[in-house]
Amino acid sequence: MIPLALSICFGALTLAVLLGLVRLFKGPTVLDRILAFDLIATSIVGMIALLSVKWRTPLYLELVLLFSLLGFVGTVAFVFHLHKAMPARGALPASDAAAPAEPPPS
Amino acid sequence: MTEILASLLLLFGAGFILIAAIGLLRLPDVLCRSHAVAKASTLGIFSVLLGLWVELGVAAAGLKIVLAILFQVATIPAAAHLVSLLAKQKNLPRWHEPAPPGPPAE
Repeated sequence: MIPLALSICFGALTLAVLLGLVRLFKGPTVLDRILAFDLIATSIVGMIALLSVKWRTPLYLELVLLFSLLGFVGTVAFVFHLHKAMPARGALPASDAAAPAEPPPS
Repeated sequence: MTEILASLLLLFGAGFILIAAIGLLRLPDVLCRSHAVAKASTLGIFSVLLGLWVELGVAAAGLKIVLAILFQVATIPAAAHLVSLLAKQKNLPRWHEPAPPGPPAE
């Protein structure tokens, strides 16, 4: 029962990563891309857990903790950077992902 | 018995992560997408890690999986909350329900 379930779970998580990559390429704003990054990090943590079930070893738990920590810190760092760097809509046209490309006058 | 329970938990969790990915791809704006990612992916990774705990057994895995579960449950909604707060603050485009095509029937 376990190997069949593992195969189905690996297929589902791989499909989830692919759909997240589609949103990562299409995403109209940069926040959609951050959400896609978060979902891909979660799927990778799930895949590590599935590998740990497959090989029946608890050695990968540190890896699970490390990857979830990296995903969270990455998301928070992006949000706190964009809090200052991203222009509010209304001041600029809707393509908010592109920063204004004018260099400061020297 | 343990194997069946672990397989069901793993399948449930992987299915919910897949549902989160589908919601990320198909919902119309940033707030809806962060709604999908926060709830479904939290439940999915919770269930996958619980399945890992059931499969490995308490003696082998110990409390480290509980730490990983608590970390995921605490951080994924917090990250999605930060993203949606930034989307509201920067006034990103929001989805409105389209007007009904004709007058209502009654």
